[in-house]
Amino acid sequence: MEKKIVTPGELLFDFPKRLSGAYVENGKTYSSVVGVLSEGFFIPLRGRYAPFPGDLIVGVVMEERFSGYLVDVNAPFPGVLDSRDLRVEFRIGDLLVARVDSVDEVSNLVLVDPKKLLKGEVIEVGAVSVPRIIGRNNSMIDMVRNITKSEVFVGKNGRIFIKNGNAALAAEAVRKIADEAHTSGLTEKIKNFLEARTNEQSK
Amino acid sequence: MNKANKPELIIDGRRTDGRNLEDLRSVKIESGVLDNADGSAMVEWGNNKIIAGVYGPREVFPKHFSDPYKAVVNFRYVMCSFSSLEEHSRGGPNRRSIEISKMGKHVFENLILTEQFPNTAIDIDVEVLQSDGGTRVAAFTAASVALVDAGIPVKGFAGGVSVGKVDGRLAVDLNKIEDNYGESDVPVMFNSSNSEILLLQMDGLLTREEYERSIDLCYEASKKVNALQVDSIKKKME
Amino acid sequence: MKMIMDEIRAEYVKELLKEGKRKGDRGFDSYREVSIKNNILKNAEGSCLASIGKSKVLAGVKIDLMEPFSDRPEEGVLMVNSELMPLAYYSYSAGPPTPESIELARVVDRGIRAANVLEMQGLKFGDKVLGVFVDFYVLDNDGNLTDTATLAVMNALSNLSIPEFNAELNAFEREKRNRKMEVKNRVTTSTFCKINGKILLDCDVEEENAGSGSLTIGVADGGFICSTQKSGSASFSKKEVMDCVDIAMKKHEELVRHIKIEG
Repeated sequence: MEKKIVTPGELLFDFPKRLSGAYVENGKTYSSVVGVLSEGFFIPLRGRYAPFPGDLIVGVVMEERFSGYLVDVNAPFPGVLDSRDLRVEFRIGDLLVARVDSVDEVSNLVLVDPKKLLKGEVIEVGAVSVPRIIGRNNSMIDMVRNITKSEVFVGKNGRIFIKNGNAALAAEAVRKIADEAHTSGLTEKIKNFLEARTNEQSK
Repeated sequence: MNKANKPELIIDGRRTDGRNLEDLRSVKIESGVLDNADGSAMVEWGNNKIIAGVYGPREVFPKHFSDPYKAVVNFRYVMCSFSSLEEHSRGGPNRRSIEISKMGKHVFENLILTEQFPNTAIDIDVEVLQSDGGTRVAAFTAASVALVDAGIPVKGFAGGVSVGKVDGRLAVDLNKIEDNYGESDVPVMFNSSNSEILLLQMDGLLTREEYERSIDLCYEASKKVNALQVDSIKKKME
Repeated sequence: MKMIMDEIRAEYVKELLKEGKRKGDRGFDSYREVSIKNNILKNAEGSCLASIGKSKVLAGVKIDLMEPFSDRPEEGVLMVNSELMPLAYYSYSAGPPTPESIELARVVDRGIRAANVLEMQGLKFGDKVLGVFVDFYVLDNDGNLTDTATLAVMNALSNLSIPEFNAELNAFEREKRNRKMEVKNRVTTSTFCKINGKILLDCDVEEENAGSGSLTIGVADGGFICSTQKSGSASFSKKEVMDCVDIAMKKHEELVRHIKIEG
């Protein structure tokens, strides 16, 4: 399997293809961010979270307004929670999980189904490494959960909520996955890392 | 500068610092040098030392400065008060740096895929810590790397150099002494992906042939700068 | 913020351009009508009202004595400054100079300085040197202020008269003006705008609003290029730049006819 690190402006495909982290010019597709080109797939390694309907995100309440709440979602613009649809009240600084209901071309982002998050730790990683943290069929994140006995919720926006169990180790593992997201054999590496740490600590 | 005391700047085809006419100075680029900024880069270009930091895309304040079609690009180029060999300067923007900031804004408005982020701002801040001629191309080179480090979608890198006329001959990448006595200055930057000209300024007196040759020399040098920019990003991915 | 009418007019410009046309059936590399009125002010040592199309720029020059710069003790000082007057365009406002205003002044200054239009060496009076302060005021903006301002400033400098210096008083006698300052070179600029990939010379303000950037080429007598400024987000290919250079060199011959030494 050949992997190639690509920087912005490099030719990815000599035909037009709409994908994240790329642009089309004169019928050809070029990278717009750093990424990995592997077996005809381009995986961005950098980039801010771009909200998409259906995404589950971890947000922070920034501002209370007459009609609802403004929520920071780690995107270039805040999300809005309409208070008419809510049964719970939030305070500024509250952490929550919510679903992206819609986002339009002028950056209006509507959130629904919020749930308050209590007593836990939140870490932020680049949103582009979220798929690696989850792993194929949840394999990576389930492994972290099983070994650390922590509850880990991965927001699509690159915010990860962790509580209970060995939360510190879980956080460290998640950061490691994000940092090394572009390397191969990552699942094995993380497994070894978690087991080594657990053995060390149980001694 | 008093032209009467002008030293000889090219002797046997060699310049004061030993370079040939078409040589760049030594250029070092490191990406991701700052913690808080979304992206950053440090460029050491001859004796120039320049640091660039990028934030965004983020919300625009005040709100009426926002554009419903695209991200607003703010570019700030400043020389630190201690950056030059001469006297302590006032620091902060002056007429020269305001014009350069405007040029930087134009370069990156072209390069950034701004239409992906309506109603937001991208803030680029470049500080010249130490200056030795050719700071504007070095500053834009650093800013370009910082943007890529931040993961802001761009069409390519902006790379380039300034070509000047010294002792009647065209020379690439003038240092401070050469710049002081230079008979012309042509800073040019190119988009690495399509060779389009992003920055072009000129003063001096050049014939059409010299003018065209200056742009060609800048283009050759821009390829070398671009390779260093790519390396600085790839190094962080190892 | 762009006004809604600007956008509508810009769309019209682009529509015309699709058919290969320009407002008033003007050619892509032709100027609007140029008019020059020299010495229209009495108190200024040099003045000119220049217009291209409906754009109007008034340049005035004042002469003063000043302290020389420490590294150039024998050299006079030339300063070029611009004012985008609030009455000239709806988006201009009073206050400190905007980046647009600073850029305009610096681009006009650049070519004139590079081409050594005025010989500043040896302009020493007692322990002071001659200061030539050129200020140009934009009165009406209908685009292409750079070329209009360059014409205004070149004319004002070409008709600049220096008052008599009274060594005893160590001051100028302002009423006695007998010496014209020699202009050693003539500079013109040609500014092109890029609109939807097409390049047009001397754009009016509607065309400028429709475009994505401009390229100014300054040309001096004797076939020299003396200044360049690419502005705006548009990029240019090298070929486009050299085509603009060729047109600007031709237009120099046409534009210098509007730089007149009167009386």
